[in-house]
Parts: sequence; C-alpha cells; structure tokens
Amino acid sequence: MGRPVAIIGSGQTHHGRRFDVTYPELIKEAVDAVFENTGISPDDIEGVVSGTMPSMMEGVALTHFYFAEVLRSVGKPIMKTETCGSTGISLAFTGYYWVASGMADLVLVVGSEKMNEGDSQATMTTVLEPFYQRSFIAGAPGVFSMQSQEWSVKFGIPEEKVRAAATRLSVDHHNDAFDNPYAHIKKKLTEDEVNNARIITYPVRLWDVCPNSDGACAMIFASEEMAKKLGLTPAWVRGVGYSGEEYWFGDSEKAIWQCAIDAAKQAYGMAGITNPRKDLDVAEVYNPFTFQELLYYECFGFCDFGQACDLTLKGVFSRDGELPCDPSGGTLCTNPIGATGLNRVAEAALQVTGQAGDHQIPGAKLSLAHAMGGVDQYNGVMILGSEK
Amino acid sequence: MTNRVGIVEVAMTPGAETKEYFLDQVFKISKEVLDKAGVARDDVGTVISASSDVFHGGMSCANSYYWDAGAAFLKNGSRQDGESLFAFIYAVMRILSGNYDTALVLGVCKGSENPDDDVLTHFFTDPFYQRQVGLNETIAAALQKREYMDRFGITEEQCAGVVVKNLKNALGNPYAHVKKKVSLDDVFASKVFMDPLKEIECAPKSEGIIAMVLAKEELAKKLTDKPVWFKGYGSSIDGFYLGDRDLLEGELPNAAKRAYDAAGIKDPRKEIDVAELCEPYAFQEMLWCEDLGFCERGEGGKLLESGATGVNGDIPVNPSGGVLAMNPYVSRGLYRLAEGFLQVRGQAGERQLDKEVNTALAHSTHGFAGQCHAVAIIGS
Repeated sequence: MGRPVAIIGSGQTHHGRRFDVTYPELIKEAVDAVFENTGISPDDIEGVVSGTMPSMMEGVALTHFYFAEVLRSVGKPIMKTETCGSTGISLAFTGYYWVASGMADLVLVVGSEKMNEGDSQATMTTVLEPFYQRSFIAGAPGVFSMQSQEWSVKFGIPEEKVRAAATRLSVDHHNDAFDNPYAHIKKKLTEDEVNNARIITYPVRLWDVCPNSDGACAMIFASEEMAKKLGLTPAWVRGVGYSGEEYWFGDSEKAIWQCAIDAAKQAYGMAGITNPRKDLDVAEVYNPFTFQELLYYECFGFCDFGQACDLTLKGVFSRDGELPCDPSGGTLCTNPIGATGLNRVAEAALQVTGQAGDHQIPGAKLSLAHAMGGVDQYNGVMILGSEK
Repeated sequence: MTNRVGIVEVAMTPGAETKEYFLDQVFKISKEVLDKAGVARDDVGTVISASSDVFHGGMSCANSYYWDAGAAFLKNGSRQDGESLFAFIYAVMRILSGNYDTALVLGVCKGSENPDDDVLTHFFTDPFYQRQVGLNETIAAALQKREYMDRFGITEEQCAGVVVKNLKNALGNPYAHVKKKVSLDDVFASKVFMDPLKEIECAPKSEGIIAMVLAKEELAKKLTDKPVWFKGYGSSIDGFYLGDRDLLEGELPNAAKRAYDAAGIKDPRKEIDVAELCEPYAFQEMLWCEDLGFCERGEGGKLLESGATGVNGDIPVNPSGGVLAMNPYVSRGLYRLAEGFLQVRGQAGERQLDKEVNTALAHSTHGFAGQCHAVAIIGS
C-alpha cells in the first residue's frame, strides 16, 4: 500500500428537483461548499477529478469541458472518471491513487448529476447493446428485480419475509433522511403504505426504489503532510476494493455476487478487517433498491447468506443496531447517480470525523462506503478510519 | 522518483474501418499484448481503459460493454472518459501507489460504428448558448486557424506542408488509416470543408483499439530486455467558452511544463528525440510545436519549413503520420505514446528514425481548439 491518504473535507448540495439552478451552478454549490468547509483556497488544488453518468443523461458529452470553470480546474491537471453507477466511488479511487502515487498532495474530486434534465431509465436502457439485451430490459428496475428474485429463490426465503425486511429498510431510511440536511426524499411512511405501494417491476414497489435526484458532491483528498499542515480532521483511507464482471446479464450468478464479495475482500484485506460486522462502526451501502441492500449485507460478510432478512427485522442494521447501515437515508432517498457513490464516501468520512450532525453514529471510528454500477456488473468499496 | 514504471508491450489495430465485431477486436488486442508481454491474464493487477460514451456506437457506460472482453473480468479497474492518455497516467498512478505491480491500459474507439466525429463533438456544447449555433470541434478549429493566420502570418502553404509531411510519413506505418501520397497541389485542390480548413487538413474518423502493459521497475526488467520508462506527465484544461479564451495562448504550455519538470527536461528541442503530436487539424501541429517549446511563438510555420520536424530533422514530429493519417478520437493519445514506445525501442519498422531515440514525447488533446491537453514523456 502506498503512502497514507486522507479525506479532509466534503461539500454536498441540497438534493432534489433543482430547477432553480443550471447544471454548472449545481456543481458550483458543492465545490464552493468544500472550499468553505475546509478553508482551502482553490489555488492550492493540484489536480481535479470530475465525473458524471453517461452523456445521454443530460445531453452533454465529456462534461469536464462544460464544467471547467465551476470545477475551478482552469489551468490545472484534470482527470475524468466514469464507470456507470459506480462513478462516484471510482472518482474517490482516482483521488486516492493520485495522492497515493505521490504525484499530488491535494486533489479535488467532484461528482454530479442533474437527472431531472433527462430520462434516467431511457439512458440506462442504452447501457445495453442494441441486439439482444436492450429490447427486454426496462431500465434499472428490470435488472434489479431479477436479481432480487434470484436471491430469494436461491436461499428459499419466503416472499413475505423478504417483503417485511425490505419494508423495514424503506420505512427506516425514509425516516433517517429527515436527519440528513442534504437528502432528497424525506417521508414518514407506514408499513402498509410501503407494502401496498404500486409495483414498479415485481417484486419491487414504489418505496423500494430510489428517486431521480439533482445534486453534486465535492471532496478533497490530501497527503499526510498536507493534512497535518492544514490542521483539518482527516478521515484516513484504510482500504480500497473494486471488481467488475461480465457484460452479459445472465451469464453468472447475482445472488452470491462475486464482484461484490471481491470488492469488499480487497478493501477488508488492506484495512485488516476480519469480522466486518464487529469491526465496522457504520456502513454507507449503495441501496438504490431495498432488496439489493439486503443482498449486500450478505456479500459484504455482515451476515451469512440467507440471513439478511432475519437480522434486518431484528434491527441489527438500524440506527441503534450493531452495524448501522445508511443512517443518511442512503441512495434510496437520494440518487444523483454520478455523485451518489461519492456521497457515500462523504457520509462515511463525516461519520469517522464526528461531523455527521443529527445522523452521527456515536463514536464511529471505522466506516464503509460502497457503490455499484454497470449491468449489475461493478462494485466498489472504500474503508475509512479515524486512525491511520 | 524512487519507483519507476515501465511500458512492457503494446498491441494495436490498424486504423482502417472494419466490419469486425467490436468485442472480438477488444479481446484480440488485449490477448495479443498479454501474450507478447508474457503476462497471464490472472497476473494482471489492474485494468484501466479509455473510451467515451458518445464515441461508442450509441451505447452508454462504454466500459460496461467491453469490460470482460478487455481482460478485466473480476479485476479491479476503472475508466477515463474521452482521453486515453488519462488512462495511461491513471495506470501509472496505481502502480506508483504500490497497490499494483502490473496494469493493462486500453484505448477503445470503433469509429466505423459512430456517426461523423463532428456530430459527436457537437455534444460537447452547452445546451443554452453554443448548441444553438451548431458549434463543433471543426468549427472551433477553423476559428483557431483563422486567428493563427491573422496574428502570426501562418500561410496556407505551411498548413499544407504539414499534410504533405504527415501523410508521407504514414505510408511507412502499417497502422495508419489514410495512406496516399499527396503533393502541395493536391492539398490546394482539396475542397474547403470549414473555411479556412480544407477537407484534407482535417483528420479522418478511424478505428483504434490499443492495449499496453505497464509494470513496476523490477518486474518490467524481468518481462522485457527493453522496457521504456515513464518519465513525466502533465495535463491542463482551459475554460469552456471559446470567446473567453485566447485560442492561440492555450493550456498546452502548462501541461508541457508539468511533464518537463517531472522528467527533468530543460531544453525540450534538444532533449526530446521524437514527438508524436495530436493534430486533428494540420495547422495545430505548428501551434503545438510552439507551445511545447520547440520554437518561439509564431515560428511554427518556419520550423516546419526548415525541415526540423521532418523525419531527418532535429526534432522529428509525427513520424507515424500523426492523427491526420489516423484518428480514433479517444484512443489517439495512446497511439501517439505507442509510436514513441516503438521508436525508443528501435522497433518502428521502416519509419524508424535514422538516429538514436532515447526520449519521446506523446501529446494528446481533446475539446474545442485544444481545450484540454495531456503530455507524456517516456525514455530508455
């Protein structure tokens, strides 16, 4: 592992349907926030990493051109990272490696999406090639409903139990979001409302699904010397892991999901984590769909395969549970895709630096951030700690 | 730099458009480079690719499609959008971090499945101001050329000279797309495409799938007798709106300075043995030569006329034929680097320069009138 790398600050926009600003103005909001929160001058930044979902989303390609000014990147080295839904966490990895390589001491990383300017499900359908897959995949829910079915059938989990656990997550997260000033959807839901919501793609119902959000997230990565010099409370990058698998959906299993297992294993290995449920204090799991969050608990070793529903219903992963997951409300309540993975990292960093405000998990020292992308294809995991 | 990174091998497709299946091409080139390098797929540390959603046959999330074809199945990897030298430097960073010993770098762009490049570069525009006027990369370049001629007296003959030189060089390059001998008269006879740019002064749309294996120092030495070392890199981006910029005082000097400082280069004209530049529009080669410090500002035309940038000159530029002879938009930066690699190794075939080549410069640019530049220096 290279030299230590710290996250020394973040800035998030308020998420939602942001028709009050243009896309560059939205990014400016996050970038201004990170400079204000850290007191760092844009002049001191040595490199900028930018990223969004594909150009079909807002109809502008290679967006680092369009955003050059608001990224405060004019005259600076730049990189443009894009890995579909996992773009956010891939951005964080780019910032991490830039600093870890010794090529820069202070790097600004910015992810963004203005989803309400486009048609997100139409965009996601174009991830699939035109010959075989495109004609029968209806956006993201089509893929994820098949995955949730595969998982519940494989482990013989009764439909009612899966529903009950998913409902528990939905009710909790939509309630948690009230404590996150940046969250998009904040709602007091009853179990009945969730259970009886309209079906999107069976068994996925309305409140199992993330919204289309407009938002941006900016973050600053620093070397150890720089973090010390600036005197800011660092969240140390303790582990990074990413894995991708084949394009053709259906060629491999998605219940025991190898790339998710591998991504976590790589990150745990670096961080020296052997018992994630015990070692981690909080996890920001990428949960665009409630069912997928359950499946991740198992792939990340928070519990055995087939056990996630039982433990969720016992409250193991709730705010006051053994391993609180998504106290921010997670992706389920806020999903500006190109920023979402970075939001997970920002939230995980806020937690271990004690800056998460009303949704702070008391005493959190070690946290996990995660994002997923592609045709159920990529997973990335980052471990952050209050100690190096 | 205590820990060096070496380029071990390269494999690439020729630029001519083919009917070959995209994924087969990616698979073949990835396999070819790993076989040449003697690295098993299982031993590849990380895979970093470059592609672009707009230059990708109408598919979003470009790297999803070729992830497994590109040797990355169950591997840690990432992607850079639009610029393949970004992918190269990201792979270098990952090795320098100590997390990986080897990296596979891919540049993927299948021009034959895309509309014309300018249909796609039009999507770089913002939806409010530039899109309405139909701006694209060629229009921006035409404005830049006009300004270059007006301010520094660059002539049509000099611009045509770049075309003649580069297309002649391309005749010796098996990977080049455009292969035809052209005279100054041919260039003058070429139809005006976007005034003052003539058709033949603009790069074609090509295919280009390219792969490179990188390794940390000890391993690179084990894998090959002739590793070519990474020496320095720099990039820089300019502002977005053309009217806010001086199109002749762009960001390339900044990018070059960063690369030169890292590589310890003080006198680029003397210390660089060969330069591969990204000149999708002929005049840009002369302007970039000025930006890179090969001559003074406004002297790019004279530099060309002096023969200094010819294959027998003291600073040969684009012995491969450059982007005018082959333009796979996203991969073109890696193709520049590949030519530099082959020249340093003495493996450039009939276009091998008739001198010792120790240090090579690879340049790439994307965006309107060179909004973004990247420069990499490699050497023996």
